[in-house]
Amino acid sequence: MTSLYLRWGGLLIVAVGLSMLTYNHYQQHLSTVSPHQMKEQAPRQEIRLFGMVRGGTLEGKVKAGDATFELMGNDTSVTVHYQGPPPDNLRELKTLILIGKWNPSDNIFEARDIGLVTNYGFVIGAYLIGLIPLAIFLFAMSRRVGLLYEEIKESKLYQEE
Amino acid sequence: MIIHRVIRKVQRFQGWFGGGAALFIIAGLYIGLVDSPPDYYQGEVVRIMYVHVPLAHTSLFAYIVLSVGSIWYLWKRDPIVDNMCHAVAALGAIFTTLALATGMIWGKPTWNTWWTWDARLTSYSVMLLILISYLMLRTFIDDHEKEARYAAVLAILGLVDLPIIHFSVEWWRTLHQPQSFSMRGVSMSSEILTPLLCMSVGMSLLFSYMLMVRTQLLYLDRLLHAKKGRLLSQFHMSQSDS
Repeated sequence: MTSLYLRWGGLLIVAVGLSMLTYNHYQQHLSTVSPHQMKEQAPRQEIRLFGMVRGGTLEGKVKAGDATFELMGNDTSVTVHYQGPPPDNLRELKTLILIGKWNPSDNIFEARDIGLVTNYGFVIGAYLIGLIPLAIFLFAMSRRVGLLYEEIKESKLYQEE
Repeated sequence: MIIHRVIRKVQRFQGWFGGGAALFIIAGLYIGLVDSPPDYYQGEVVRIMYVHVPLAHTSLFAYIVLSVGSIWYLWKRDPIVDNMCHAVAALGAIFTTLALATGMIWGKPTWNTWWTWDARLTSYSVMLLILISYLMLRTFIDDHEKEARYAAVLAILGLVDLPIIHFSVEWWRTLHQPQSFSMRGVSMSSEILTPLLCMSVGMSLLFSYMLMVRTQLLYLDRLLHAKKGRLLSQFHMSQSDS
């Protein structure tokens, strides 16, 4: 039984490591900031800016992938200059994620791409629901097998084949 | 008997199945969650596929094993195969339930609904009902011989649902996406295919490992019951002698 607990302990450590890697990946590549947070933090590196395109501000050649507009979020708005691939979903009052760099000297966010807004709760939920019951079931079965072996060995009629 | 030799040989590699499953699933999770890119249309939600599709494939594989085992049992009346069928039905029910649950979670952000009476979803749910009926049948009948025979017949009758599940996306207009693997080829990029294959191989190995553990569990459970029965009869005999 000790080896069973050791094996499962090892697996648990690997699972925790994998969760930390995934969380790290999320923080570095997928997490977003609002215009308010961006102005506060003034980041130098590329970020993902989350907000809604303010109505009546979208100008430029949108279909060609060159547009200027204001993005709102948390009662703060920021001017955005988008230059990138022709966007499918850039329109007024649309909530989206812009990938680019903040230029504090002229207060303009230079966006190079538009990302899809994702509810990560669905992804996390699917993985937890898909894998945790399997792990619990397998652990319970393996433990029961160990206990049954011991019970059979301890019962008086046991004869080795 | 050939089947006994095969089972004994396969069981010798039980640890390899478990270790292989852990390795492939860990690699699949890492590539799927960290390394692979998001889908152009679905974005990050596509990552649900790496857990949903392998679960669904494994559940179908489980039903095929159950059907083949049931045919073998009716032909040879081998109790070890019956024991394996009993074990595989429970595992099949679990894999099917989890595939349905993860599919529902995937359906909400992509189809904007948790559930729809789509041909694929409905036929797949029928398979879950057949598996549950199989397990209920095995619980309610006292005569072990009869129980095994009726359950095997039910499993073979239920086999008709498998081609319906497989071809439902071609025969009917459904919300469910068409097959990505077919005779026409594979319709996905290698970046998405790699984690999917890793998880599929991992899940199949995990299923095989779980099947070995469960078969062992059922066998030991019966052995213990038999021993307890013998102990009891021995006790009664000693009582009557004295």
